[in-house]
Amino acid sequence: MSPLDANQIVALFRVIARRLAEARSELGVLDGAIGDADHGNSMADGFAAVVRASAEAAAAGCAAGDLFAVAGRAFLNAVGATTGPLYASALLRAGQQFAGRAEIAAEDVPALVSAFAAGIRDRGKAQPGDKTMMDVWAPAARAAELPGDPLARLDRALRVAEEGRDATRAMVASVGRAARLGERSLGHIDPGAASAVIVIAALRDALARYLSEARP
Amino acid sequence: MAPRPGSKSGDGDTASAMPLRYGDDPLLWAAWLYYEEGLTQGEIAEKMGLSRASVNAYLADARTRGIVNIEIAPDKFRSLSIAQALRDHFGLQDCLVIPTEGGDRSLIARLGAAGAQTLQRFVKSGDTLAVTWGRTVLALAEALDRPGLQDVRVVQATGGTTAKIPWTPEACASRLAEALNARSIPISAPATVSSPEIRAMLMQEPVLAEQLAILAEADRIVMGISSLRPESTIHSSGFLDGGVQHAHYQDAVGSIIGRFINARGESVIGPMHERTIGIDLDALRRIPQRIAVAGGVDKLPAILAALRGGYVNVLVTDVVTGRGILTAEGYKDTPRRSPPPVQAPLTARSHVKKLINAPQDAVDEALKGALLAHEHLIAALPGSPRAIRALEGPRAGKVGIVIGGGAGHEPGFWGYVGRGLADAAAIGNLFASPPPGPILAATQAVDGGAGVLYIYGNFSGDVMNFDMAAELAMAEGIAVRAVVTTDDIASSPVESRAARRGVAGNVFIFKIAGAAADRMLPLEACDALVRRANARTYTMGLALEPGSLPETRRPSFELGPNDIEIGVGVHGEPGVVRQPLAPADDCADLLLDRILAEMAPHEGDRVAVLVNSLGGTPAMELYIILRRVRQRLKSRGIEVHSSLVGPYYTSLDMAGVSLTLLHLDDELAGLLEAPCRSAALVVP
Repeated sequence: MSPLDANQIVALFRVIARRLAEARSELGVLDGAIGDADHGNSMADGFAAVVRASAEAAAAGCAAGDLFAVAGRAFLNAVGATTGPLYASALLRAGQQFAGRAEIAAEDVPALVSAFAAGIRDRGKAQPGDKTMMDVWAPAARAAELPGDPLARLDRALRVAEEGRDATRAMVASVGRAARLGERSLGHIDPGAASAVIVIAALRDALARYLSEARP
Repeated sequence: MAPRPGSKSGDGDTASAMPLRYGDDPLLWAAWLYYEEGLTQGEIAEKMGLSRASVNAYLADARTRGIVNIEIAPDKFRSLSIAQALRDHFGLQDCLVIPTEGGDRSLIARLGAAGAQTLQRFVKSGDTLAVTWGRTVLALAEALDRPGLQDVRVVQATGGTTAKIPWTPEACASRLAEALNARSIPISAPATVSSPEIRAMLMQEPVLAEQLAILAEADRIVMGISSLRPESTIHSSGFLDGGVQHAHYQDAVGSIIGRFINARGESVIGPMHERTIGIDLDALRRIPQRIAVAGGVDKLPAILAALRGGYVNVLVTDVVTGRGILTAEGYKDTPRRSPPPVQAPLTARSHVKKLINAPQDAVDEALKGALLAHEHLIAALPGSPRAIRALEGPRAGKVGIVIGGGAGHEPGFWGYVGRGLADAAAIGNLFASPPPGPILAATQAVDGGAGVLYIYGNFSGDVMNFDMAAELAMAEGIAVRAVVTTDDIASSPVESRAARRGVAGNVFIFKIAGAAADRMLPLEACDALVRRANARTYTMGLALEPGSLPETRRPSFELGPNDIEIGVGVHGEPGVVRQPLAPADDCADLLLDRILAEMAPHEGDRVAVLVNSLGGTPAMELYIILRRVRQRLKSRGIEVHSSLVGPYYTSLDMAGVSLTLLHLDDELAGLLEAPCRSAALVVP
């Protein structure tokens, strides 16, 4: 199994960006129920900026492992909002882990889920059960760390991610903007949890496609 | 009627399993439970596994579809149709007609009870309520029980009497005040004095002048109507000296407020006119709401005269009197008609229409327009189009004030950048915090060596991004402090004040900060003043219609045709509780009562008021709200330093209003008065 080079990491970002662009208004509607309806825009704009900046950096010869720091800064400057610092921290954490590596092994791709989860947890300080994106990232990270081939690990991560997302429906928000709604946040899926599932699913699909194309 | 719920009927325990006998018709089931079993809507909701709102809608549907047929009992119908005819014919605000015969209670006692019910419906916190005297008025006061109002004043409409009757002006006023938990204001003079000269002298007494001034401020009056027949109150109250009537008042058919009127309702001037102390007929007509409680055929000519003269706009009377009045005016009993067809409510705002180009360009295009409109005040920083700097203001040695937040709050935030206000603002995407980049650029641009103070509303995104910018700025050696504003009292209980949102109160807080920095105070002093301003600023908002984002073109939450949302923020996010739409004054009271309960001001304290449009509510409605707020503050004895009314801190096109009060002290008042000049706020 050949490792992913810089261009393939950019391709991976591109899949995430495309999925989020497709979900832009759907996420906005979810957010409108308990927030201010901007989450779809933030995520789509943020990853669009990630693709632009990382493609440029890759073309200029940036190593695959160094693209994550480039991506983190791009996301932050494009978005702001709440998502900006959170996903910027996620990407920067992955950047620390892979810094300097010219290529990233397919076996290491599931570790992105764990790195993202750690970065988001440390910046946002939300706990599982708070009805945030951490209700997806925390169980997904644990699932991705279990042994297995990389695609199976991401499949597992995606499955628990979806469960985590659906579980937010029964939670009362206790941090973030929706917290002001109190019990009225019950019954609604947290938009941050929904977009986290999209990111994980995109990672999984991008890896699956890479593996099938890489196979002789 | 079947037993009340709680006792298990044979329907089985499972909620929402519909018993067979209702077919598949949930309307029929709901109607049966409501009308036949006597369950409440809440109990039905539980039983059927529905929300209360759905049950309510089912019951309404059941009536329109004829599953339920409701008929009003003939006697009640007669009362209602007479009341309606009286209201239409005399242009009354409201009319209540009670049966003439009814049990063992006297007509006067029952009229009093009906009058009390009517008054209860109208009286509000902060009211000044005038009251006359008489048997019916006293019966009303005795039947009234309406605690829980605030700052109500009850004032006598006339001077007092020493007549040996229980229903003197003093007794009626004090009894009414007691029932309303109100302050009672007497008129410290006799109702009639022995000569016009004595009246003129008395009127100059400061105590009496002050009491009469309060009487002139009355919002409503409760009054009886007296006939001039021998048994009427007017003869026993001392308003008419024995011989006077025949000589001068033979045209008079009735008396109200101690004055006399003829059958056409015109004032009858006699020798008592210049000897009476109290409100006169012209002043009476200027009181916005004039509630008369009077019945009995002996009073019929007097009531008719009072109606014709326009002295009454809410009438409480009985069926026989009411019908008599209508007959005298040439009316006939209204025949029963079939009810008018039910009109489906118009769906408001069926389409979201916006004057934009590409939705994703809206923020930048609006910002460019603002920069051109106010090019003599503000400009974008080179290379950082979302960082807006004041052309005048930032200077060496002065603390730099940097504000910011998402777009969509126009004229926030660029509208508050200028001399004596903020030095710079960083603006994000719609309702989204700006990233650290423009915040840092703004910080560098306005740092005059004395440090920079960040002020922004408490939202998790803003906190994270401003924090990151502060870390970067401090790494460059710029001293940065931040005040996170928390004025929205609806967003969190008082125990967790720090969790509250920062909303329209920012306008006052930015002003205080700008003035403090303009006085060249050091960073610590500016920081402390702004914190104090934040702690003393209270905001609460309500929405009539949700706003809609340019991108999605759909309302950001749903609100029923007759609902309002209380406690909304400034991002189109839903509020804290929903309730039926109420008149403007009630809405203003709702916001103000919450604010005052927390602020706990003392009499004589000063406040600054902001009545803010959330974007879609026009100036007319804002001024109606302001008027009520000022009335209430006046009756609470709170001085208003200044009032701002307009779209100062919006939430795109949300229809609604927020009310902000800044509880001033001398230092804050001084800072509020300091000159400033920006696009949205100018103090000369």
